This record gives sequence, C-alpha cells and structure tokens, in this order.
Amino acid sequence: MLRLIAARLGLIPVTVLGVVTLLFVIFKTIPGDEATLMAGATATQAEIDVTRHQLGLDRPVLAQYVTRIAGLARGDLGYSSTFRGNPLPRIMERVPATLLLTACAIGLTILAGIPAGVAAAALHNRWPDLAVSSAVVVLLAIPNFWLGLVLIAVFSVRLHWLPSFGFDSAISVVMPAVALAARLIALIARLTRGLVIEELRRPYVRTALAKGLSDTRVLWKHVLRNVMVPTITAIGLEAGYLLGGSVVVERLFAWPGIGDLLLNAIAVRDYTVVQGITVLFVVGFLVINLLVDILAARVNPRLRHA
Amino acid sequence: MIGRRGLLAGAGTAISFRAMAQAGTAGKTLTYGQSTAVNALDPSHGSFAGYPAGYEAALCLYDRILDFDAAMNIVPGIAEHWAIADDLLSATLTIRPGVKFHDGTDCDVAAVKFNLDRLIDKQRTTTNRPLWDPLGSIETPDAHTVVIRLKSPFSQLPNSLAHGSAALVSPAAVAQFGETGIAQHPVGAGPFKLAGFTPGQELVVEAFDGYWGGKPAADRIAFRYIPEAATRVSALRVGSVDVIDNVSVPLVGPLKADDNTRIIAVPGLRPIGCVINLTREPLKDLRVRQALNLAVPVATIAEKLFLGYARAPDSPLAFNTQGYHSVSALVHDPAKAKALLAEAGYGSGGKTLSLVFNVSVGLFPNDVAVGEIVANALGQAGVTAQINKVEGGAYWDTLRQDAANLKWDIAIFGFNPSNASGLYHLNSLFRSNADDAAKPDVWNVGRYRNPHVDALLDKANTAPNRAQQDVALAEAQGIVWQDAPYIWLQINETITAVRKSVTGVEVWPIVFTNTRRATV
Repeated sequence: MLRLIAARLGLIPVTVLGVVTLLFVIFKTIPGDEATLMAGATATQAEIDVTRHQLGLDRPVLAQYVTRIAGLARGDLGYSSTFRGNPLPRIMERVPATLLLTACAIGLTILAGIPAGVAAAALHNRWPDLAVSSAVVVLLAIPNFWLGLVLIAVFSVRLHWLPSFGFDSAISVVMPAVALAARLIALIARLTRGLVIEELRRPYVRTALAKGLSDTRVLWKHVLRNVMVPTITAIGLEAGYLLGGSVVVERLFAWPGIGDLLLNAIAVRDYTVVQGITVLFVVGFLVINLLVDILAARVNPRLRHA
Repeated sequence: MIGRRGLLAGAGTAISFRAMAQAGTAGKTLTYGQSTAVNALDPSHGSFAGYPAGYEAALCLYDRILDFDAAMNIVPGIAEHWAIADDLLSATLTIRPGVKFHDGTDCDVAAVKFNLDRLIDKQRTTTNRPLWDPLGSIETPDAHTVVIRLKSPFSQLPNSLAHGSAALVSPAAVAQFGETGIAQHPVGAGPFKLAGFTPGQELVVEAFDGYWGGKPAADRIAFRYIPEAATRVSALRVGSVDVIDNVSVPLVGPLKADDNTRIIAVPGLRPIGCVINLTREPLKDLRVRQALNLAVPVATIAEKLFLGYARAPDSPLAFNTQGYHSVSALVHDPAKAKALLAEAGYGSGGKTLSLVFNVSVGLFPNDVAVGEIVANALGQAGVTAQINKVEGGAYWDTLRQDAANLKWDIAIFGFNPSNASGLYHLNSLFRSNADDAAKPDVWNVGRYRNPHVDALLDKANTAPNRAQQDVALAEAQGIVWQDAPYIWLQINETITAVRKSVTGVEVWPIVFTNTRRATV
C-alpha cells in the first residue's frame, strides 16, 4: 500500500510538467495578447510594444518556456499583469475558500444523497422512491447557475435569511454549497438507489434475513458496506467536477475562491495566474483520487492488495 | 521565491483583515459593490487595475494636481492655480501649501516633481502615453511653484493633470515599498487612506483626518467585488451594499420599482459604432458608406434594445466630450440606402456587397445583439454582413493588425476619451497613420486618411485657447461625420444604482462611479 502511495505521489510532478507544457502551447496558439490587454483599450502601438518587452513576450518562445518551468520549480509564477507581481500569494489566499465550499458540497452530498438513495431503494416503487426519483430528475435538469439565482431571490431578497454574496460569516456558505452540490446529490442518490436495489437481490441478503437479522441491520450494516466502494469512487471522481462547477458558483455568489480568479485571468490572458491555478487543480485532482483509492481500500479489504 | 511561511502569512492577512473589517465598524461605512475588482493601485506600471474599479478606488485614495467635477470641468486640485503660456510650451502651477500624504510627509513641489517625472518616464509609466509624452522637464523655482516645460504645444495639459492616472503618490512610500510595491501599498494625499486590501477581492479605505479639504462625509468605504450583475442588484435591494455600478438595462426595472433604491444614469463619452475598413475597394466609395449608415435603425437600437438608456450620436464625439459640436442627426432611410448602393453598382442588377463583420463578445454594451440588429438591417438593404464573433480577450488584436492581416470589413468599436478631451478622441481615431500598411499608431484601425482633418487637428493641438481649439474641432467633426468612416450606432448611459439613504455619489461620463464625496 505504501509503495502504491509513493508511486502515485511520484507521478504528480510528471503530470504537472505535462499539463504545464500543454497549457503553454495552448496559450501561445490561441489569439489574444496579454500585453495588449494590459495596456488597455486606449493604448497606442508604442505602449503595447513597451509592455510586451517588459512582460518578456518578445523573447524567443523556447526561452519563455524555460523561464516559466524554472520559475515554477522555485514557486515563482512570474510577473502577473493582473496583480503586478508574483500572483502566488493572491492564489493561495483564495484556496481555503474554495476548499471549504467544495468540502461543504461533498458533505451535503454524503448527508443527503446517500440516505435518499438508500431510502428510495428500501421502499422501492412506493411513494418515497417516486419522490426521490422525481427530485433527481429535477435537480439534474436545473443548471447550478439558475438554482443559485433562485436561492438568492428567495432566501436573501424575499426572506432576508441568508447573505446574498461574499464570505463574511459561516452561514454565507449555505447557498453556494447547495447550488454547487445539487447536481451531485442527485447523481449520488440515483447511483446509491440502483446499487442498493441490485444488492438487495443477492443471496447473502436472503441468508442474513433467514438468519433472523432485522431489515435495518441488513440494510445499513451489510448492504451499505458493499455499496460504499463504488459510491465513494463516484463522489471522488465527481469532486473534480465540483472544482469546475465552483467556477460558475463562485462567480455568482462573489465567493472569494480561485474559480473567479481563473475566469478573469483567462479573459485577460494572465498566463501566470492560469498556470498557477491549473497546477493547483491538477494536484488537487490527483490527491483526491489517491485519497479515494486509499479510502476504498479501507472500506473493502479486497482492494488493499490490488 | 515565496516559501511556506509566505503563503501562510498571505492567508493570515486575508483572515485577519476580514475580522478587522467587521470589528472596526464604528462610524459610517459606505459599501460599494463593484463589477470589476481592484487589483493594483499604482498610477505607473500599467496604471490602476482593473478598469474601472482601480481608478474609482484611486479617486478616493489619491489627490491629483488638477481635478474634474462631475460634469468633467477641470477644477483645482493640489495645484490651486494653473496657467499655460500663450505658446503652449510651458505651464506654471501654484501648489497648495500644507498638504500632507497619509504617511505624514509633505505633498509639496518636490513631491509633484517626483510624480510628474515618474509619469514622464516611459519605462515606468507604460500606459496613457499620449497624455505624458508631450511633457519635457519639470522645474521647481520656489517652494510653491512648479513649471512644466513642454516638448511641443500641448493644449490638453490640464486634462492630463486631472486624468485619473495623474494621482500623486508619496515619494517616501515609493522608497519604502519599492517601485512596484506601491501597487499593493498605496499612500496618497486623498480624503481616504488605506485600511485593508485583499487584491482582487476587497479594499477598505478610511477617512484621513489630515486631509486638506476637511474630513470626508463617510468614515469608511468598502469596495467589494461582485462580478455577477444579478447578484449586485440583489445585494443592493437587500441593503448589504449601498452603491452598485454597471446595472444592466433589463435589471433597471426591478430597481426602479424598489422604494429603497435609486438609479443614476449619465450618458458616457464613448460612441459605439462599426469601424469601416477603408483598405477595401468597395468601402472606399463614400456612397457605399453613406448607404450603410442609412440602412441601420439607430433609434430602434437606442429605444428597444437599450430601453432609452442610449442615444444615437450626431457627431463623431459624444455629447458631453470637451469640444463636442452637433453636426447632424442620423437618418434611417432604407430606400435611400438601396438607391445609393445601386448608384455605386450594388444590389438589384449589380453585384452583391458581402462584408465580414467582426463583433466582440462582452466588450461593449450588448455587443452581440447590436451586431445582429446591424447585420439584419444591412441584409434588408441587400448587403450581406457575415458576423464573426470574437471573444473579448482576442478582440483588440483582431482590430490592431497591419493592413495585410485585417480579416474584417466592418468591426464594432468604441473609444472612451479618459481625459474627457475631444481633441484626444479625434487624434486617437481619425489622425492619419504614419504608415497605413503597418499596425495603426493609435486606434485609427480603419485607415481613415484626410489631410484636411490632420491640418485641423494640428491647429487644435496648437490653439492658444479653448475657444479657438473648439472652432477647429467643430470643423474636423463636420468633415469626419460627412466622410462616414464608421457606421455610427449609439452612446450608452453609464447606470449606477444607490440606496435612497445615500447621497453625493457621482457618475462621471468617463464610466467612473465616484464615491469620495458620498454620504451614507
């Protein structure tokens, strides 16, 4: 197991290098120039030329690439046209907000999605099942952006219960987390429901019931344990999606995370910021996947030697 | 390099700042929800960013040598008096005595010279060059006087000295924080001083007791970044912010219906239009350009698309620009458009005129919808306009190409003269390029060339007073208007909204919402 973890961690720098190289190529290929955008909408050609020079954009492409990679190794992302310096502190100070939002969304998914799925399966084809299945369809169909707008209109503007934007207190996280988690809750509820229904038809369930174990004990102790492995894997994979979804939700709620920073950086072609956040996303995704594998192995001993 | 300690310190600052912003709320705080983020607060090194948020914050933190009032008239600032020599080759400023920067140092003639030298230096101040290039050297003959020597006659000097980027920075602070560190540690002589700054998220400024003009009405202003238009409106209606900018036209209705909010709408200085590529053979024909203008229903755009928060221009300059002169109203006459096109050999019986039409996404108000209306109207006049949508980040580069690489025939564009000067506007857009084959010198991207206009602009540049300058500008506007190097479309209003309890918020025609004189 330890060897597996070490090997997976060792792959991270290689993956990062590959992603950064790809990103560099993409940035050099797409239209739009950081210097033009920094110089602004009233700039003369002379101003743009001086800015290009100061940003080092007039140097040979290969030299620019080497500088980027060497800088990255030292934690220096380069000169950001947005923040007029190394943007790393600006990115890092936003990481806690994004992590908190993502963690709350995953927490909501586990607390709401799994029980809903199990309940629907246990009461298969009865009204709780119909209610959960209908809710799943609705939540999958609603874009998180629109859901967020509705939440603000109802809980901030009309009822004055929750703050409409920003991150000033603990309750600020409620609406963004719900908007972010909605789709994932639906997915996990549907997945859990299917898995539990399938599991309930297996012989060991019949045996356990014949042995005299209660319904609840069979369901929550035996069945759920078997269902947990694919569920955890699915949540882990979807956590990557949450990072993407958080870009939209963070912008809507003016949440001070890295998502909106990324959107703006792309708009002004601020390579340093895009590179920094991309590396964070990649490392985050790899680490989450590793954690999911470790967790799955904990839940299911058979996976420990795989 | 930033080690782990640096990162932790960065995170710590953000948290402690937020705690401080909440704890220290004695007195009146005005909260301004901005559509763009404040990222950098140095007038040099790329100037204030983002736009316009950084400039709006700078209006509170910094004083300038001269200032604008809300109608863009030039008024005294740190200079109590100013006079330009008749030959327009020098200017004498009398500096207000006893002005202090927030760090307690003197904002005196030496500080004014330090700042002007910094703005003149092309390596340090890379933006707004047309405002500073004409300045030669700065002299300080006595303790109250600054003399600016100009390289060439430059009647716009007062506009430069009042421009948002002409903010006076404490020389001691530049020495302390470094040439680039000032962007995150702004120290000025304005009515508010820095209280907390998380670039890209929040800026808090508090009243500066030592301000020469007396303590401002608000004790504190919090600039908070709220990128989403609908969220800004909700925040204002709930009362968690007192001011919001960039209200989109469809959201004006709910705010007007709300008893607690008020709309402030002011016409901007940026006329939007479609610049015409004059290197294309068919578009060199004046009749064709006139026909394109006649084909577009400008009144419909202003009234139906922008619900009256826009007007069709009647000159190449917007209504409130210095030197604006009304030439003639735009007419929508599709029949005449067709007739003119037929005369030029297009339409029924002749060839079909096909145009590639570049439209930006999100750079100008409702640009895609405007583009579609224009393309449709041109279609009804028998001209095929093929829309080519270009993402905002790539758009400027598609416009600023050498002539051989211009891939459009018409392209949506608008120029905002940030110093309010019509001369600056016309010089930037309609002065002949040095070389039409190369990239445009400024923003004459359509390669307009009229020696008569060049001569009038020269005359305006060297006119000894505003009256004579305005005469030359009026004639130049008339010629450009008749030459029709653009399909002229609309001038939008800048729409800001405030809580009804808030007074003194100014919306400047150059898109800035100024909160420095606001009362909560």
